[in-house]
Amino acid sequence: MTDLNVSSEPVKYNPDFAKEIYALESGEHVKLCMQCGMCALSCATREEMDYSPRKLFLLMRVGKREEFFKANTMWMCSTCLMCKVRCPRGIPLADVMHDLKSHAIKLGYTERPQATFYQSFWQEILNKGRVFEGGLMARYYLKRGWSEMTKGLFEMRDLGMTMLKHNRMPLKSPKSIKGLKSMKQIIERAQAQMHREEGR
Amino acid sequence: MSKKIGVYICSGCGIGDALDVSALSKVATKEYKAPVCKTDAFLCGKDGVDIIKKDVAEEGVNYVVIAGCSGRVNYDVFDFGPSVVLERVNLRERVVWTQEPDDEDTQAMAEDYMRITLAKLKNLEAPVPFIGEEVSKRIMVVGGGLAGMTSATEAAAAGYEVVLVEKEESLGGWLKKSYKIAPLSPPYTNPEETDLAGRIKKIEDNPNIKVYTLASIEQTAGSPGMFDVTIKQGDAAATERVGAIVLAAGAVPYDPGKLEHLGFGASPNVITQAQLEELAQKGCIARPSDGKAVQKVAFIQCAGSRDQEHLSYCSAACCVESIKQSLYVKEQNPEAAVYVFYKDIRSSGQYEHFYKKAQSEGVIFIKADVTGVSDDGGNITIEADDLLMGSPTMADEIDLVVLANGMVPATAFEDPALGGEAQAEVAAGSDQAAPAPAPIIKSNILNLQYRQGPELPSLKYGFPDSHFICFPYETRRTGIYAAGSVRRPMDMAQAVEDATGAALKAIQCVEMSARGMAVHPRSGDLSYPEFQMNRCTQCKRCTEECPFGAINEDEKSNPLPNPTRCRRCGTCMGACPERIISFKNYSVPMVGNMLKAIEVPEEDEEKPRVLIFACENDAIPALDMAGINRLAYSKWIRIIPVRCLGSLNLIWVNDAMSKGIDGVLLMGCKHGDDYQCHFMKGSELAGIRLSKVSETLDRMGLESDRVYMTEVSIMDYDKIPKIVGDFVDKIEKFGPNPMKGF
Amino acid sequence: MRYSFYPGCSMEGAAVPYLKSFEAVTKALGIGIEEIHDWNCCGATVASGVVGHYPAQVMTARNLALAEQKGLDIIVPCSSCYMNLAITNKKFIEDDHFQLMANEALGVAGLRYNGTLKVRQMIEWIINDIGLDRIKSMVKRPLTGLRVAGYVGCQTPRVFPWTFDDPEQPVFFDKIIEALGATPVKFPLKARCCGSSHSITKPEITIDAGYKLIKSALEDGGQLMVTPCPMCQLNLDAYQGMIKKGYQLDISIPVLFITQLMSIAFDLPPDTWALKYNIVSPFDTLSKYGIKP
Repeated sequence: MTDLNVSSEPVKYNPDFAKEIYALESGEHVKLCMQCGMCALSCATREEMDYSPRKLFLLMRVGKREEFFKANTMWMCSTCLMCKVRCPRGIPLADVMHDLKSHAIKLGYTERPQATFYQSFWQEILNKGRVFEGGLMARYYLKRGWSEMTKGLFEMRDLGMTMLKHNRMPLKSPKSIKGLKSMKQIIERAQAQMHREEGR
Repeated sequence: MSKKIGVYICSGCGIGDALDVSALSKVATKEYKAPVCKTDAFLCGKDGVDIIKKDVAEEGVNYVVIAGCSGRVNYDVFDFGPSVVLERVNLRERVVWTQEPDDEDTQAMAEDYMRITLAKLKNLEAPVPFIGEEVSKRIMVVGGGLAGMTSATEAAAAGYEVVLVEKEESLGGWLKKSYKIAPLSPPYTNPEETDLAGRIKKIEDNPNIKVYTLASIEQTAGSPGMFDVTIKQGDAAATERVGAIVLAAGAVPYDPGKLEHLGFGASPNVITQAQLEELAQKGCIARPSDGKAVQKVAFIQCAGSRDQEHLSYCSAACCVESIKQSLYVKEQNPEAAVYVFYKDIRSSGQYEHFYKKAQSEGVIFIKADVTGVSDDGGNITIEADDLLMGSPTMADEIDLVVLANGMVPATAFEDPALGGEAQAEVAAGSDQAAPAPAPIIKSNILNLQYRQGPELPSLKYGFPDSHFICFPYETRRTGIYAAGSVRRPMDMAQAVEDATGAALKAIQCVEMSARGMAVHPRSGDLSYPEFQMNRCTQCKRCTEECPFGAINEDEKSNPLPNPTRCRRCGTCMGACPERIISFKNYSVPMVGNMLKAIEVPEEDEEKPRVLIFACENDAIPALDMAGINRLAYSKWIRIIPVRCLGSLNLIWVNDAMSKGIDGVLLMGCKHGDDYQCHFMKGSELAGIRLSKVSETLDRMGLESDRVYMTEVSIMDYDKIPKIVGDFVDKIEKFGPNPMKGF
Repeated sequence: MRYSFYPGCSMEGAAVPYLKSFEAVTKALGIGIEEIHDWNCCGATVASGVVGHYPAQVMTARNLALAEQKGLDIIVPCSSCYMNLAITNKKFIEDDHFQLMANEALGVAGLRYNGTLKVRQMIEWIINDIGLDRIKSMVKRPLTGLRVAGYVGCQTPRVFPWTFDDPEQPVFFDKIIEALGATPVKFPLKARCCGSSHSITKPEITIDAGYKLIKSALEDGGQLMVTPCPMCQLNLDAYQGMIKKGYQLDISIPVLFITQLMSIAFDLPPDTWALKYNIVSPFDTLSKYGIKP
């Protein structure tokens, strides 16, 4: 847990940053947070987070933009949906976390391994229309660089061997889907539509 | 009419298996010579009830004793009309469900309860109701704000004539000062118009409502059903006879002059909620310092409320009001930044939707303690400890700060014109130990012609005292019901509900009073205290101790009872040293006979007897519930129910001890600030009286701990075996009462 | 009964035993299953975190549009696939603006979806459409005495909370275990997160979660875990070695797909049990109940 009290100087409230978050796809809902902490209590990965979702929303309200995006909170979310089910204000927290991930990627906050994983996964979709686990792993470790790759491979070596032994990890990549091109066109159009809506 | 007793013993529900019913019958027929005594296996069934009905109709039985289940059940089945006196012997919950079956001590307990009830009949008569003269069913409403107007229209809609008294020149109260009000109807998301004109028209158009404006009450004399209220309008005075009164005098904002620490007075841009309403009414929320339309507004909640230096209570309406006002700001300028600094947002009930609405409009709520408010040429900076951030924070360049400055009830203010200190309800300087007096603040609102003082007794902070849990609208003056923010701090939606509830209570009161019946909590009781005046010593205990101010005094200190003010608790009866106060069906000799009917075994039998006086309101239901849950308790106890421990006359303790009973346990309700006593002061008074018993016991050579008082709430049924057991153990350690056999 | 079927990417990879047993079980039940032709990835829990919900949902909608051409409701065994397909389907049905926009995007590829299909979660579909009586009637080898921890996982009961069960302590999955003759154990963590894709990026999360789950399953005497979720199965099966090592646990618990257990109980040919793919061997446990391939 990171202490919110970063300095003894009074923190000045800046209402502008909150507006940036409210403008995200599910951002409107965040306005309704009443700081009850049910999300923190419900979260399966709460202990891994720099700030619980509640505290992250607090940072947003105060206007601490940099701390907000540097926090690992959204990246630790595993989409188990417990917070979304329990939130007394009906905030779809898992959806908000996804908004924050894509927003963070867009802003260039991509240094976390989870961001690399997400980007690799997406590339794998765009590459074949389906996700081939072997391909995903290769992309992920290539992007993370050599040192992490060897470290990762060392840690995962036994696992990989076992999976191979049980035919759980095909080495050969399946073929791309036939409609790959049209799928990508659909996605591009959807992204264009979204940008248009955001521009309004 | 001569007394003819019929005793009916039910052997159902396991009674017949656990007890020797024929021996029980002999107690009735041989010892007490009951002319009719019958046994049935299913007395509450149609055939069983018919046996009794037949005896009433054909044999002239007019005193019916049913030995079976608790009097708290089947009371509708065993109803033989007002001319038949009904008594119940609780053999089920109190004996067979708590004791060993087929045991001589269980049998002795059952037979004692039979004796106690039959002995009770000796001094018991069917009550004759008190019917006043020229009883009025009109209802007076004091205060013409939202609550008062609501009470008036609701009572009138139910067909009752209403007299509405307002001190200002027009109706409306707080509504007149409001731009809009918090929503009173679904979806509870948008401020509503006050609809002041519509509300006034509804009253003016109603022929059943008579309105006095610019009016005050010079005096309120009389009693429920027969209040004579003198209303002053300028130099003119009119007297109205009414049956009940709704007090809806409202509240006023807490004095902002005392809130300098929040910047009030130092900056023109720090204003109160009321001042913001004025600005909004004028059409533009602008900075008072320079008229600039506001861009950044901060609300400071609990400005004075929940603050030991100011008002220690929550004013209940300010959160909702600030939410409403934050929406005014957003309505004027959706881009304006609005902060609400709060301790806790208390937007209860449907106002959760209103709170969410303000949030969705972008109002930012900050849980913080404000530490400083400073003005720099019109721009205000607020410094605070943000409790969720855990760090000092600040908001600057604020155009307008609104203090949510809470409310104080109209009854909390002493009218300087009347002079003098707040009067204590019970006369000060008395040499007797007395409960802490409830202050009566001379607020010049009702000017009651009551011996105990001119206004309603308050409990705390100047709000009228009432039993907040069980009957909130009741004040400690029967027939006078407080509603709205004079009763406790509340928002407008609650005030509307409150006013409707109080109107209903007032209607119940005029109807009950006209029939000679008691109102809550002994609803429908026809008995009332009667005074044998030739033996009165003018000691004033009854007039001082009545928790409801029912008894006035003449100039020679003779008590002047007002039966319709009475709640029939018997506190006067317990207080009277001469024992001259009795009800037709509840009196000092009656209970004396009951306890004397208990058979006390000889000392060498080693069977102690402990008498329990148990309050009918909480202790008796708790004892019944112990039985329902089959919780076994001591076989040595004998229970006599009392209306309230306040009715406990010390002579009963004397009598019990003289008879050789080994200990007396009193079970009453919690007293103190958060009292549960249904008659407010009863259990407290009993405790004080009891402190004097020890002297008497010492004189008799007995341990003073043989008499003990304990608090039992209705939820304490599971503790009954332990409470009883611990006391019986203590008594057994003392050994037998040496008075046995004398 | 005929249905469309959306297998999802994992059934082509790590969850291959799920596919094999699912196909065998549906065939034995006489249900026609048609894989959606040329389906694409649903986006899992990842796509929306990269490109936003709307483009991810439109991508998912391509599958709905393809399925609608056959007019058959879609059965989805995987939890994440179900989440994405069902939520997208709901948006098509309830949100006119979304439907309009999404169809404009789908139109680029000559596709369109009118929201006429139902997206069915496999477990709920087994209980409500096939029926537990039918399942019971298929059981040729009742798993009497076998204590099974039904790990329904996190998303399946929570996508639409309270529609087919309680989102935190669901019981519907246990009903199938019961129908197969086995005894469901209490397993209070039955709907807790398994650590999801942290298995790659931060394996200690998955290992910690896995330990808690296995401990909970063992506490009430669980001998076997079953799940309907590919990710849960993989994390608990493949990482069990690391979990045991990390927490000095000396007991193993096999983790099967529910359809594998059904295939066993239905006494279908042993190759359809697809147990060779299971990393933690279930054979010792099963042989105690006379179950041998």
